[in-house]
Amino acid sequence: MKFAIALYSPAHAPSSRRALLFAQAVLAARHEIVRLFFYQDGVHSASANVVTAQDELDIPAQWRDFVNTHRLDGVVCIAAALRRGVLNEQEAERYSRPSANLSAPWDLSGLGQLHDAVQAADRLICFGGP
Amino acid sequence: MSTLHVLSHSPFADSRLSSCLRVLGHEDAILLCGDAVYALTPATAARQTLDAKADSLQLFILDEDVKARNLTPPDWVRSVDYPGFVELSVQFDKVNTWL
Repeated sequence: MKFAIALYSPAHAPSSRRALLFAQAVLAARHEIVRLFFYQDGVHSASANVVTAQDELDIPAQWRDFVNTHRLDGVVCIAAALRRGVLNEQEAERYSRPSANLSAPWDLSGLGQLHDAVQAADRLICFGGP
Repeated sequence: MSTLHVLSHSPFADSRLSSCLRVLGHEDAILLCGDAVYALTPATAARQTLDAKADSLQLFILDEDVKARNLTPPDWVRSVDYPGFVELSVQFDKVNTWL
């Protein structure tokens, strides 16, 4: 079965970890993840600048490893990302910002990518809130 | 069309659980995770509301969140882990998270 997973909460929210464990369980059950879509505060999990305390789970790093390991399509909403200061090289240059904090494996793209993922998937599972 | 409703907000902070129970279809189920499992706290209005629906309500709980809060679920409630959560999302036609 094909899953699309949307994450609305930042890395420090428990729902972010829940989304990660769910996504891992999806692949462990031999289902497919057609796209991960990071929306609203979820875009913070794609930032390369998040520093997690050593005795805490580094959720942004775990997401990055997960997406890299399984070569998943990790899309970050561009409108949500820009307003939260999550920029790739191209956007940092476009808006004359001092640095970029988003790179591979993440792609900045529009909300249409969520719509497209929902069309391609059998299930859309959203994670957000606490 | 069956829907799995996923809640993670505490029932003592907002009205998501009561709203969800109001719109719940007869084929639908609820999965409580995160702070939403506090609905199982003994001797509370939320627990009494759920217990009163024990015969008709399909209620699931995320095991680790219940354990983390040292709650004891009643016998009629079914406990799932993450693979079980995935299985539920396959079993139901739609998954609606109360974000």
